[in-house]
Amino acid sequence: MDNRSRRETPEAVDTHGYCQAEIEVTHGFGLHARPSVIFTRLAKSFPCTVEIEVNDSHVWLNGKSIVKIMGARIRTGSILKIRARGLRAAEAIHALKALVERDFDEEKKHGRSA
Amino acid sequence: MAEALEIAGTAASPGVGLGPVHRAADVPAEVFALRDTVAAERDKLRQAIATAIAELRALADRSDEESAGILDFQIEMLLDPALVEMAEGRIVAGDGAALAWVGALDDYIAGIEEAPDEQLRARAVDIVDIRNRVVSALTGLPLENFAPGSVFVGKDLEPSRFLAHDWTAGGGIVLFEGSVSSHVAMLARGRSVPMVVATGRFEVADGARVLVDANNARVVVAPDDEHVREAKPIKAEARPIAARRAGGVVETADGVAIRLSAIINDPTELRAIDPASFAGIGLMRTEFLVASSADAVDEQRHYDIYRHTLEWAGDAPAIVRMLDLGGDKTLPGLGARKSESFMGLRGIRLLLARPELARAQVRALLRAAVHGNLGVLLPMVTVPDELDAMRTYFEEERAVLLRRGVEARMPEIGMMVEVPAAALMLERFSRSAFFSFGTNDLAQYLMAAARDDQSVAALYDAATPAVLRVIAQGVDLAEAMKKPIGICGEMASDPRHVPALMAAGLRHFSVAPNRVTDIRSIISGLCTDGRPRRR
Repeated sequence: MDNRSRRETPEAVDTHGYCQAEIEVTHGFGLHARPSVIFTRLAKSFPCTVEIEVNDSHVWLNGKSIVKIMGARIRTGSILKIRARGLRAAEAIHALKALVERDFDEEKKHGRSA
Repeated sequence: MAEALEIAGTAASPGVGLGPVHRAADVPAEVFALRDTVAAERDKLRQAIATAIAELRALADRSDEESAGILDFQIEMLLDPALVEMAEGRIVAGDGAALAWVGALDDYIAGIEEAPDEQLRARAVDIVDIRNRVVSALTGLPLENFAPGSVFVGKDLEPSRFLAHDWTAGGGIVLFEGSVSSHVAMLARGRSVPMVVATGRFEVADGARVLVDANNARVVVAPDDEHVREAKPIKAEARPIAARRAGGVVETADGVAIRLSAIINDPTELRAIDPASFAGIGLMRTEFLVASSADAVDEQRHYDIYRHTLEWAGDAPAIVRMLDLGGDKTLPGLGARKSESFMGLRGIRLLLARPELARAQVRALLRAAVHGNLGVLLPMVTVPDELDAMRTYFEEERAVLLRRGVEARMPEIGMMVEVPAAALMLERFSRSAFFSFGTNDLAQYLMAAARDDQSVAALYDAATPAVLRVIAQGVDLAEAMKKPIGICGEMASDPRHVPALMAAGLRHFSVAPNRVTDIRSIISGLCTDGRPRRR
């Protein structure tokens, strides 16, 4: 099972609509296309901007663009920074970070609790 | 006559195909010549993208869920303004719509192809698919299709083109590059289309005869009869000979009866198989009957299929395996794959974690059992408690059905022997009515080498001696319990392994229908100890 530790920093929350989080991708992001679809669909459901940076590249990409996400070539073990600006920014970061932590729901939907 | 040319590659989907080559062409250059105003070219591109999205949606609507998931990804890419913007930059710089689109996409594809991760590189062909579909909409040139029965040879094959093609007439796929992790490889495995990848570029004329021998990870251009005999092509031989020889029992050279049953992946296969050639169905997989989570709990759908299967089998036993999801077999939202999930929540573990899924299938099986000689196989059983828990489901659901006045009968419930811990301790599973070795998984669990990981493929093959020892022990344990035991793994369909499996004591083989003729003929030439008949 997954025994890698997740590297994360406390979320930097700003009441004026800025929020950022850092997380290690434990899911094989490139494994199939679904995680990218799920991530961008969730990002698009928030009114704020969502941007991602991979492995301290200093390049911030539109987190709502599946083309950009696929192009970022994110793999397992990548450190992902996610930032959001605008309405419901904190909520967006919380949801997206949780999605990455849940390995894009590819495990959860098995329904361990069912 | 041209000399045969053998080319080694990597097997991406097992099987053997023989047919004329369809050599994939590149998009012709002349379609890029046209040039209108910037605004007109931009409109043309947007219109073409809209057309492509509509086509993909229509294709997704008539595809199974796994295929639709792949197409959904393509649709999502096309809906993303980022792609259009990349191409529009080039239109503004002076390119026509088609050239701008192809140029922008090719740059993007090149970036994906350089990804360090094979799984991600394998997505490049999806983008090629998107590129070609939009080009087709822009230029009015139809997407290239090819004759049924052909062997597709090219750099890569796009999933939508695979899905649009009729594979029922056979044929196969040979890719110069390609990947065992690509969407199209997944689709090929799901439909038993033989596929060899990573052959490197080779020249072959359109229409030339090519043998795709994915079982031996090779391709033979202009094969001679010897090559074809060695590889045993699927369509040419299996049916007529199988039909001539009635009965699913073959006698060994020393006069012992060996039972041969069929492995069925898809109920439509039954139409092409003569029941008289088999001692029934040794394994019907059910994970391919369902394309979505909704299908999986559609009791009536399951029932209809099982009833049809039992009617096909007549008096002979038909063994249906309960949904074996997880590992490499997934549904959207179910058993989705992680690299660890071959050893995670799959098979009976997943069924017990999702009782609603298991119970719907259990009810369908109980109702269908009235119509024939049904056996139920439980996948990936590790401890006796799992077997008992599932048996309880059967008993509870039967009581409910009978209370409702629905006819239901308890089938025999047996288990797959594929987890080493279970295989070594079969005496603990005395409540299992019968056993069936699943050697594909047994081998990967014994070697701790994932089946779908090319980097450890050699280890997987090397598992054979260990698997045979576990089988021999299991057969002894089952015989001591007076329980039937057989094999339904790929080893049983592989002529190389049949003598050793006989020597290990197996007397019931479940094989792929297109292999039964070979296996029958091999067994008839062997004594029960697996040695050839003495002359």
